[in-house]
Amino acid sequence: MEGTGGNIAYGTYWRIWIVLLILTLIMLAVEGLGLPTGVAVIVLLAAMMTKATLIGGWFMHLRYEKLVITLCLVLGTVLAAAFLFFLIMPDGRASLPQ
Amino acid sequence: MTDAGVAVTATTTKAPEGVSSGARWQGGVPPFAMSWQKLMMWLFLVTDALLFAGFLAAYGFVRLASPSWPEQSDVFAMPLIAFMTFVLITSSATMATAVGAAHRGDMKKASRYVAFTAVGGLIFLGMQVNEWSGLLHEGARLWENPWGPRAFSAFFFMITGFHGTHVLIGVVILGIVALKGRAGTVTSDGVELVGLYWHFVDLVWVFIFTLFYLI
Repeated sequence: MEGTGGNIAYGTYWRIWIVLLILTLIMLAVEGLGLPTGVAVIVLLAAMMTKATLIGGWFMHLRYEKLVITLCLVLGTVLAAAFLFFLIMPDGRASLPQ
Repeated sequence: MTDAGVAVTATTTKAPEGVSSGARWQGGVPPFAMSWQKLMMWLFLVTDALLFAGFLAAYGFVRLASPSWPEQSDVFAMPLIAFMTFVLITSSATMATAVGAAHRGDMKKASRYVAFTAVGGLIFLGMQVNEWSGLLHEGARLWENPWGPRAFSAFFFMITGFHGTHVLIGVVILGIVALKGRAGTVTSDGVELVGLYWHFVDLVWVFIFTLFYLI
């Protein structure tokens, strides 16, 4: 398949692997350090999004695909999750199992 | 995916120079500049992402609405979870290497790395079985949670169960592709498609690992 990241060097993938491992270690450290909840959540979410971007952009070659594919994947999931979270689920709050 | 089908897509995925975005929809050119097989895989992945987005949104809502929630480090063996994450990330790197080799026409290397990826998936599944066994032994069930809110166990088994099923399906497909690669009957497009699926499985784990195990 043409134009889909076929020219990326093998070394690039393994450098990304190292970055992913480092980010995972940082996340585990943050979880174990006992930082204030707000700070820990922000760091964890930032690391999560960075990891997702690296996997999507480089491993899945989204950087080389048409923008509409990325938009469908990212905006679609974010909007669906937000719709469920803010508009649908509050209706079921009263019946939540305790 | 037949050889004939691949031959056709390989010659038609790239739009001619100077074709405007409007003209892409008038026929003769794939509007998304990719083969239909790959487009179908992306459509599947988008719908699958919606499934997990629903799960995680529901999890987040219930957790925030619950008066108490178990401390993850009291329930889960974090070193095991960390190693599971390491294995899955590594398998994603081997998969990316396999796709790169397939693009370069080195199918022998590609099938070898696809096999490494399948082994990584099997190790991950083995550790997940171990994790599930431990929690079941402690009394956790889909409808029962010894650490507090019932929803905790329900979400754990549903989310990790769906993800584990994806891993299992991926391992089977990877095994088939690796065997076909050894026989010389797999194409680079086939390796790329299974690669997209496997990276997606890794991508979903990134969210589960953070939102369920760490936050």
